[in-house]
Amino acid sequence: MATLVQYLQYLLNGITLGSIYALIALGYTMVYGILKFINFAHGDILMVGAYTGLLTYTALLGDSTNPVWMLTAFFIAMLVSMAFCAALGMFIERVAYKPLRSANRLAPLLSAIGVSFILSNGAAWIFGAQSRRFPYPFDDTPIVIAGLSITPHQILTIVVSVVMMVVLTLFVNRTRMGKAMRATSLDQSTSELMGIDVNRIISMTFAIGSALAAVGGILCSFDFRVYASMGTMTGLKAFVAAVIGGIGNIQGAMIGGLLLGVLESIGAPLLGIPSALRDTIAFAALIIILLVRPEGILGKNEREKV
Amino acid sequence: MKKTIALLLVLVLAAAGLFAGGAGESTGADSSTYVIGFIGPLTGDNANYGIRCSNAARLAIDEINAAGGVDGKQLQLIAENSLGTVDGAIAAYEKLVYSDNVCAIIGPVFTSPALAVAQRCYEDGIAMITPSATHRDVTSVGDYVYRTVPSDSLQAEVAAHYFYEVLGYRNIACLYAMNDYSQGLAEGVEEIFTELGGTVSAMETCMVGDRDFRTQLGAIRSTDAEAIYIPNYTVEDAQILEQAYQLGMDLPFLSSDGFSDPEIYNLAPDFTDGVIYVGPAQAEASTTLSDFQAAYSAAYNGDQPDSFATNAYDALYILAAAIDRAGSADREAINTEIKATTDFSGANGIINFAANGDMIASQGVYEVEGTTPVYVGSFQVVDGSIVQVD
Amino acid sequence: MLNFFQLIIIYAGIYALMAIGQNCITGNTGMLSLCHAGFFCIGSYATAIICKTFGLPFWFSLPVAALASGIVGFLIGVPTLRLKGDYLCIATLGLGEIIRNIATNVNPVGMMSVPRAQLFGYQFSSRNKFTFILLIWFFVLIAYILFRQLAHSRLGRAMVAVREDEVAAASNGINVTKYKIGAFTLGAAVGGTAGCFATAYTLTVQPSSFTFMVSVMVLCMVVLGGMGNLLGVILGAFIIEFISYFPQLVGLSSVIPAQASQIIYGLVLVVMMICRPQGILGRDKYRYGDPRSTFSKLRDAVKSRKGGEVKA
Repeated sequence: MATLVQYLQYLLNGITLGSIYALIALGYTMVYGILKFINFAHGDILMVGAYTGLLTYTALLGDSTNPVWMLTAFFIAMLVSMAFCAALGMFIERVAYKPLRSANRLAPLLSAIGVSFILSNGAAWIFGAQSRRFPYPFDDTPIVIAGLSITPHQILTIVVSVVMMVVLTLFVNRTRMGKAMRATSLDQSTSELMGIDVNRIISMTFAIGSALAAVGGILCSFDFRVYASMGTMTGLKAFVAAVIGGIGNIQGAMIGGLLLGVLESIGAPLLGIPSALRDTIAFAALIIILLVRPEGILGKNEREKV
Repeated sequence: MKKTIALLLVLVLAAAGLFAGGAGESTGADSSTYVIGFIGPLTGDNANYGIRCSNAARLAIDEINAAGGVDGKQLQLIAENSLGTVDGAIAAYEKLVYSDNVCAIIGPVFTSPALAVAQRCYEDGIAMITPSATHRDVTSVGDYVYRTVPSDSLQAEVAAHYFYEVLGYRNIACLYAMNDYSQGLAEGVEEIFTELGGTVSAMETCMVGDRDFRTQLGAIRSTDAEAIYIPNYTVEDAQILEQAYQLGMDLPFLSSDGFSDPEIYNLAPDFTDGVIYVGPAQAEASTTLSDFQAAYSAAYNGDQPDSFATNAYDALYILAAAIDRAGSADREAINTEIKATTDFSGANGIINFAANGDMIASQGVYEVEGTTPVYVGSFQVVDGSIVQVD
Repeated sequence: MLNFFQLIIIYAGIYALMAIGQNCITGNTGMLSLCHAGFFCIGSYATAIICKTFGLPFWFSLPVAALASGIVGFLIGVPTLRLKGDYLCIATLGLGEIIRNIATNVNPVGMMSVPRAQLFGYQFSSRNKFTFILLIWFFVLIAYILFRQLAHSRLGRAMVAVREDEVAAASNGINVTKYKIGAFTLGAAVGGTAGCFATAYTLTVQPSSFTFMVSVMVLCMVVLGGMGNLLGVILGAFIIEFISYFPQLVGLSSVIPAQASQIIYGLVLVVMMICRPQGILGRDKYRYGDPRSTFSKLRDAVKSRKGGEVKA
């Protein structure tokens, strides 16, 4: 029999799972907000980020078991991975999406699918098909309080995603660059007339989105492992989270991610159905939410299609 | 416009028609080699299983060729990617059988593609030996279909008896993925374990590719199961073990031959201690297995083979022996000789084929100490109770 | 090699049917849907169940599959088609995944040894590919003619009007919802029949083969060939299948690493899109979210029909 403690544990599990989705959804939502196109390759950038982080971390660490150096190495690895992914994101945008900016909206979608193929198979080629474990840079002994257990890496994930959300919100709302991004997202050609370097803004958006993907990739690899196709389903779920929350909306991505995680975790036991149907629950919830609020939970209600 | 379409269609059909004549002809088969086909997923989510099996088959071929080949001729392996799908496996089959004119096939690696290819093998009269498709229906397709992996019903029988009789569990829970492999084993164990008088208090499911099992583990925790049976692929098992630890569960874990993949000790090295799994039997006196493992590791940058790769290795030796006895690349003759295989001594012990092509072998039981699997012994179920063979 | 080329033509035929269905939804009516894999799945299962479980002839399964996936399409369409653009895309993607998830949970192994299609005692065997090509391309031709006629009819023009501008279409007395649901149902039904032929050829149904990547590939075929252009989408289906299996066709697949052929495939997609973003036979004029005035677009749409062209 399921007890209250058990449901609280499900809820807690859902929040930690959801914070991973939220973290990745933030990157998705950034890119979508500006360019209005689904970057199918986002999940694969996440994978590249996880591999870069893993390789840098193991290289830096060597044989050291010094806890301070482990944490330092971990954060250096994260920065390296963010920088690498930002460059990769900008490069991909430059090569595969920029030439298609004026084309019909499906052309960049296809191009993104092509990029996704190249990245995931390239990684499988280089790194092999096995999954790898991202070693914990700290002691990951679960913390048990009143029968509920949570591990340090889960707390880290939640904290990082909240911090990222706050920083991003401030960045978009308070800085010049953020203002330019918002303007570009509203109307590209008018922004250009107002003296905004749209190309630069879009490049920056991709850089930030990809750096976020790198962070998400590293943090989710504690729970999901590192493998070449890790981005596909995770990316899809994160995108669903972004849509639930109202795509283009930063707080929405957070709410959508958490909601999706909690639904996946608690939905099946609550409804008394097999856990293998959790994807059905997640997607059904997505559809119901969209039917009630066609622009997502926090999405702006645009009157007409853009 | 209409003309263009009509023209195009006519062209396509004419081209196809022209080619129709060429369909049956043999192409490219060099009479100085025996060509063997391999079908398995070489890209995609489960590519590591396909790659390991093809590597093992390639290793066997290299060994045989280095030792002079089969009656003076060299063997050649052509590995095709099934992409893990039925479409892909059929395409790979078509290429191997019609373009490369192979004399027999090793693979496919997974059940569903194996079912589709088995159907074609049966119709076209070409033998296939799958190293890893465990579902009971695979060999029921018909003649020409063999496997060097125990069917899930065979493995489940030994597993359930071992858990009940030897380990003394009366109440277990299962956490399995919804795929042919895991479901076949979990349901097989549930059925037999219940027949024996035990209770299966939870049958929790997940999807292949899921990475979060805390909900299912939470549900199992609320039952009074004494142990958890996890017949899944490596990555899922690794996640389950680690997340059980994170939730503070200390129930013993039982598993299947999927656990024989050494990768598990890289993925979850701290949590494998005490896991008991049913896997391939080992011939005690023979060093074939350890030799194979050493050779594999040397040939593929220190990578370790799993039990399915070992099965693929055995399958290739069985095939090579059959080709040798047949003395030609004739598909029919090779099939007859594979069927006639008796007491083949391979890396997985002594192998015989039942009339339907299933492998007859005893099952090994392993207990993990730290990160080293220790061989407990091989077992068979005789007259409804478990017997240790050696 | 020749035999393998026939196989590609068969696969291309199956996917051409799917692409025609997708084109009806996306190309003609402008709805971005990603659940053709779901309709494909329903069609495949319908054939497998009717031929194997009930032992009825293949021909009986064709209308049933079309009907079943049409009904599902209708049921999906009624609530979701209120959504626009990418929201519709993601909702339909979710539905496709739900169909696959449920199919996997019902039976993860799928179905096998489905009896073959027969015509007057002749068995359409997978070994005799030429007759199979005739069979499938006959149905592609029928679908082509039907949808060509449709495009020229009042119905087809209404669909184009909906695609170009919903508000303008509605103000011209077109019941937008009705046409959207109609197009969606029709597209779904055609996708279902493609599933019939896939099952008739492989004789096996495996739930895990209906991933959203299938839907994505079908969408690729439509965009690559040229949205709204029927001949284009058939060509798109052929090209995508050809690229997918090209390494095996020429015997390269066993020489180069397996990932390499997938990478080449990705590269080809990117390069093709950059070189011809409007698709091979598509026209540059039609763009999603084109800022031009509603009326000029509608005028163009009507004009283009006068020449007897289906392009839009």
